[in-house]
Amino acid sequence: MRHTKFALTVMAAAVIAGCGGNGPSAGDTTPKVKYSAMVSFGDSLSDVGSYAVGTVKALGGGKWTINGNNTAKGADLTGFNWTELIAAQLGLPAPCAYMTGLEGDASKGFNVPVATNTACNSYAQGGSRVTNPVGPGNKATGSPLGALTVPVVTQIKNHLTKVGGKFKGDELVLIMAGGNDALENLDELKANATKAGNSAGQTAFATSLAGQLAAGATNPATAAQAIGLAIATEAARPGSTSTSIVTAAVTAAVVAGNTAAASPAVYGPMALKAQADATTAGNKAGADYAAAHGPELVAAMAKAGGELVALVKGQLIANGANYVVVNNLPDVANTPSGLSQDANTKALINAMVKAFNDQLTSGLAAEAKVQLVDVFYVSHDQATNPAPYGLTNVTDTACDLTPAKNPLGSSLVCNGANLKSGDVSRYSYADAVHPTPFNNKLLARYVSEKMALKGWM
Amino acid sequence: MKIRMQHVAKLAVLAAAMGFALGAQAQSKGQYLVKFGVNQITPKVKSGEFDAPTLPGSTSDVGADTQPIFSGAYMITDNFSTELVLGLPYKHKLYGDGMIKGVGVLGTVEALPPTLFGQYRFFKSDSFIRPYVGLGVTYAYFQRERGSSTLTAFLDPGGKPVTFEMDAKWAASAQIGATIKLKERWFADFAVVKTKLKTTAHFSTNQSIKADLDPVAVSAAIGYTF
Repeated sequence: MRHTKFALTVMAAAVIAGCGGNGPSAGDTTPKVKYSAMVSFGDSLSDVGSYAVGTVKALGGGKWTINGNNTAKGADLTGFNWTELIAAQLGLPAPCAYMTGLEGDASKGFNVPVATNTACNSYAQGGSRVTNPVGPGNKATGSPLGALTVPVVTQIKNHLTKVGGKFKGDELVLIMAGGNDALENLDELKANATKAGNSAGQTAFATSLAGQLAAGATNPATAAQAIGLAIATEAARPGSTSTSIVTAAVTAAVVAGNTAAASPAVYGPMALKAQADATTAGNKAGADYAAAHGPELVAAMAKAGGELVALVKGQLIANGANYVVVNNLPDVANTPSGLSQDANTKALINAMVKAFNDQLTSGLAAEAKVQLVDVFYVSHDQATNPAPYGLTNVTDTACDLTPAKNPLGSSLVCNGANLKSGDVSRYSYADAVHPTPFNNKLLARYVSEKMALKGWM
Repeated sequence: MKIRMQHVAKLAVLAAAMGFALGAQAQSKGQYLVKFGVNQITPKVKSGEFDAPTLPGSTSDVGADTQPIFSGAYMITDNFSTELVLGLPYKHKLYGDGMIKGVGVLGTVEALPPTLFGQYRFFKSDSFIRPYVGLGVTYAYFQRERGSSTLTAFLDPGGKPVTFEMDAKWAASAQIGATIKLKERWFADFAVVKTKLKTTAHFSTNQSIKADLDPVAVSAAIGYTF
């Protein structure tokens, strides 16, 4: 019986142990790697307040998302971007902007002296490109904002100068750039294509109108020349309008013997046809220009991607960085900005993004000290399959970007007071290209997961 | 796994040391059988995906654990018996799987699966070997759910540490085993139990994940008849 007693005692002990029931708790929340600091390079997607000065600050802005803690309106409206969430997850201090200021229109409050804060390690600035110092919003583009757009190459140089040329080795380095290389190049292409289209349109208009009017003249060949000259002369005169150009052409046609042309019933349809010809020719010329110069943009993006790879290897890793997280470019064609473009432009954007990302993949995927995060994959999946991500809208902007509500038409001054009505807290995009705090959290989660895979978090 | 095998090996040695004996006490009507041994529970997980907001395809897996097992059986007739199986809490690790395979341990949980079986034992009550089959009900109770930095990083980076709770569930279990007479009242017992267990883990981020755990338990034990 001694054995029986023993067995029963053990069983009873087991039952009691089982009833000692403890509820859930957080467990071990220590990150796998203890980082001394987080250093962030890049653009608006990582900017934590480089331009939170002057009027931008007064308008309740500073970050390129829905600014401010608006969790009272919606739990996801935290105002944080992904870099802030990663820092918090690692128990590091909240990132702050190394450089602040604006070089824009003083009368609008966009001219604030540039200041540096050496205690801060977030170098990312809205508008920054990889190596080109002029990005969207820079004063050199004519923007009244006067964004500093210090390129990543200089951001890294500034940090290395600050720390004496070397990383300690236990810093987490975040880098995400290239988006502005795409946007600025596209803006320039669009401007040049429009210029080419307008020029071709004007020529087509003159040729069409002169030809039609000359057909009824005594000597069509000389008449066409005379009418063409009249159109060119009037078009060159400051203050000329399409009506005044038509009038000058008609006058020249009458002189050349086409007296019937003086009647609006005759020249009116001719002018309309000339206009239609001009539109057709203008569109074609614009499209031709874009098609001809698109490959240059793709090549420029490949170059920028290669430059970023060189910076990561030659400036970060070579100078002692051991933990470098590199985010590739997201699915720009599926941002509200990209979605507003025609099919050809979308295809061009995709080719540009791919050219950039391919460079990162071929240059960095095998690099042990780099975790390359395929943000393109996840942002593309979000655009096509939003529900599992919890996204309620992946095509519209959460911010009301009308001039009355948002003087910059940008998330830079978007906050709880100028959102669109309804619950926009789980929209993908705050403005045409920048994610909401919720989407920033999704990005932070994706980056965290990749860091965990690498054993870095 | 090595350690678990050692447990089993020790029991086998113990059984051998006791020596086989014939003409020992039978397992017949009105007798009690108690046993003590080790039991390895290996969940055969079919995991659902995390609720939104998630990375689609993110699932979970649960690791195995081995703990002492105790049971008491009562012979209702010479062939029909009922057995209550108890054990120390099984400590299982929860892993990321699917799209998040490789992120490591998301959390740990202790499981207590007390099970009451109705059994049929083959052959005569004094047979050297008595195979048996059983059907039972398991009450799977979970406790001490512990999150991790990885869990928080995956569900709410920068947020409050994420915790979770697992639903306690009734489940059906099927058992197949055998006793081998060792010496007088002593016997060795080997059993395999398959349990159909569905449960849901609820996270503090208002998300949940459903999973069929369907564990297979393999036990080796020494028993005493009285």
